[in-house]
Amino acid sequence: MGTSRRQFLTLASMGAVGAGLGLAGCSRGGDDGGGNGAGGGDAGGGGGDGTALTFTWWGNPVRNENTSALLSAYQEANPEVSIEEQPGEWASYWDRLATQTAGGTAPDVIQMDMAYISEYGARGALLDLAEHGIDVSKFVEGTADSGDLEGQTFGVNAGINTPTVMVRKDILDELGIEMPDDTTWTWDDWLALGTEISEASGGEVVGTSTFISNDAMFSGWLRQQGKELFVSGNQPGFAVEDVVTWLEFHQQFADAGAIPTASEITEDSSVAFDQGAFIVGNTAMNVYWSNQLQAVAEASGGDIAMLRFPSIDGDATTRKAWYKASMLWSVSATTENPEAAVELINWIVNSPDAGAIELAERGIPANTEVAESISADLSENQQRVLQFINDIVPELGDTPIAPPPGGGQFGTLLFRYATDMLFGNIDAAGAAQGFYDELVASLGG
Amino acid sequence: MSAISELSKLKTRRARTPEERAAARKEAGRDNKAGYLFLLPWLVGLFAFTLGPMLASLYLSLTDYNLIQTPEFIGLDNYARMLEDARLHKSLQVTFTYVVVGVPAQLALALAIALLLDKGMRGLAFYRSVFYLPSMLGGSVAIALLWRQIFGTGGLVNQVLQLLGIDATTGYVSDPDYALWTLILLHVWTFGSPMVIFLAGLRQIPGMYYEAAALDGANKRKQFVRITLPLLSPIIFFNLVLQLIGAFQSFTQAFIVSNGTGGPSDSTLFYTLYLYDRGWANFQMGYASAMAWLLLVIIGIFTAVNFFAAKYWVFYDD
Repeated sequence: MGTSRRQFLTLASMGAVGAGLGLAGCSRGGDDGGGNGAGGGDAGGGGGDGTALTFTWWGNPVRNENTSALLSAYQEANPEVSIEEQPGEWASYWDRLATQTAGGTAPDVIQMDMAYISEYGARGALLDLAEHGIDVSKFVEGTADSGDLEGQTFGVNAGINTPTVMVRKDILDELGIEMPDDTTWTWDDWLALGTEISEASGGEVVGTSTFISNDAMFSGWLRQQGKELFVSGNQPGFAVEDVVTWLEFHQQFADAGAIPTASEITEDSSVAFDQGAFIVGNTAMNVYWSNQLQAVAEASGGDIAMLRFPSIDGDATTRKAWYKASMLWSVSATTENPEAAVELINWIVNSPDAGAIELAERGIPANTEVAESISADLSENQQRVLQFINDIVPELGDTPIAPPPGGGQFGTLLFRYATDMLFGNIDAAGAAQGFYDELVASLGG
Repeated sequence: MSAISELSKLKTRRARTPEERAAARKEAGRDNKAGYLFLLPWLVGLFAFTLGPMLASLYLSLTDYNLIQTPEFIGLDNYARMLEDARLHKSLQVTFTYVVVGVPAQLALALAIALLLDKGMRGLAFYRSVFYLPSMLGGSVAIALLWRQIFGTGGLVNQVLQLLGIDATTGYVSDPDYALWTLILLHVWTFGSPMVIFLAGLRQIPGMYYEAAALDGANKRKQFVRITLPLLSPIIFFNLVLQLIGAFQSFTQAFIVSNGTGGPSDSTLFYTLYLYDRGWANFQMGYASAMAWLLLVIIGIFTAVNFFAAKYWVFYDD
């Protein structure tokens, strides 16, 4: 009887090692995640003749409210359909979706992002919507094929977006600096203006937030030289030298004091949206997607001008702009009710009733009739976005292809090497090479 | 010694008929059944949620598995890839620094505070709770967020330094030279649980040893080195093993402070954080599983070395 102290302590330590074993076991054992996992998620649990669908999205309070209202309206009009809502937060959304997919219990309707659509689509986790009657006939040109991948439609545009440069007009006015003409400005003008703001404010306001690792800006700059971010075959559409030039260009911003310090940039990358350096007025320019105008204007309380991103030639019609799907609607390949799921998506993207609930929260509707029907109900900022989207039609280039599997990490990867350079740990050539090698290695994986 | 064992043998053999023995066995059997019944929830958990997934992860570590398609067996390729993965090496370096600096520092502080509290001051229970508090909070998301605020560019630390007339503008959590050290500081700050265990250990040391030593003219320092440390060594060992294992698996703090990136410049890329990055952000669950097993081996080796070394410095008086 009686465990000695020695035995107790030994046992207790062993127990702790056991806890260590637990970690090794924490990776998910997706024993039947592959082919035969379809029956796993009893999605048809609604019973009898009814159709049960699960529906997941990430969002914010406004979007959550809209989406619930949207789904309620659909269920009221279609009493045989019952929909289970699975709202989420961006940060944890993808962990959950990956785990659900591995376990064969992916939700039927999935709000998808361009960064991940190949990740799921190319690996057979998503349904070909074209085969099940998706209707994009009323979509504005350049938006119907956003979710297409090698002849299959894995997602449909849930709202139109385009990258823009937002400027704090009130700050520029205060400093007596003239707004740039966004139909003629060049990338070098951005540098000059940033430098001017930093100098005029005596360092109080830094010219611009950095866009060194912004994939949209890098893509735009490449496209103006006839290149692309990605080309088919899971390849980058640019060379190491392009990255070197890009990084060296941004080193000029750093040297001129036109962007915050490397340490501040790192800090800015991890704070909440409403604490961002641009929002709180520490910088005067930043890159945002057009559908963020409302949020930016409200959170910053400033006078926000939304500009076209610059061109190399100083002529906006050569800037090769594009429409991006702010997000997409996809259906799980393992759904038991593909027709019902596609029908729901058709209603969301094509029905004026759905548009009246959604307005432009997910971006301007791609369906031109829906966009027209809601235009009167839009807020002032949303109307500006709609105007902007319409104005840039002559400046559009081809729609970029969806990033290949592994390509969703582009921004994160470039950020790591770019900040390493800005901290002075590595030169532009070294950072570019490291970035390029790691990118190529992770593509298609 | 032999006399005692003879005596105990006699005791157990005392007047037992075969019938009685059978009854006793039956009794014991029933007891065991009841025991297993009570253990059942834990056993189910162990097999379903720990051993099962562990075996699955061992298999997955030998596959190319992207979470979506069926795992494809590739033998030891994942393990071979680790040899050339520069970021993995970086993450090992970060984690070792964290463990080797953080754990001893934390234990030293815990022991120092425990010695102070052991003086038998008034309101001991209160102070003990207050010092224990960081342990409860340290691993939490809230504290990690707070850390970001305190050590940010315009954070508390810089504000205090500026009041003192120092022009401090470093963002400690966002500067690769400092970021890891703020996390080590956070770890040291959570000294509460080893402290409580030290305190309990100190209470176990009989006061007569100190009285005898005092009579023989030993000063406080000598008493500490010759009496306290040896008698406390099993507790120190216990804390060391426990904290080492815990520190190797640290995740939350680095995840929150760097927003899951391990930045700036990978300076806080903990091993577990990189594992998470591979598994969930990059869909390389096979590789992540292999990493989990490497971590298990590393922790196993550290623990084994600890137990081996314990023979030479841990003193058991029972």
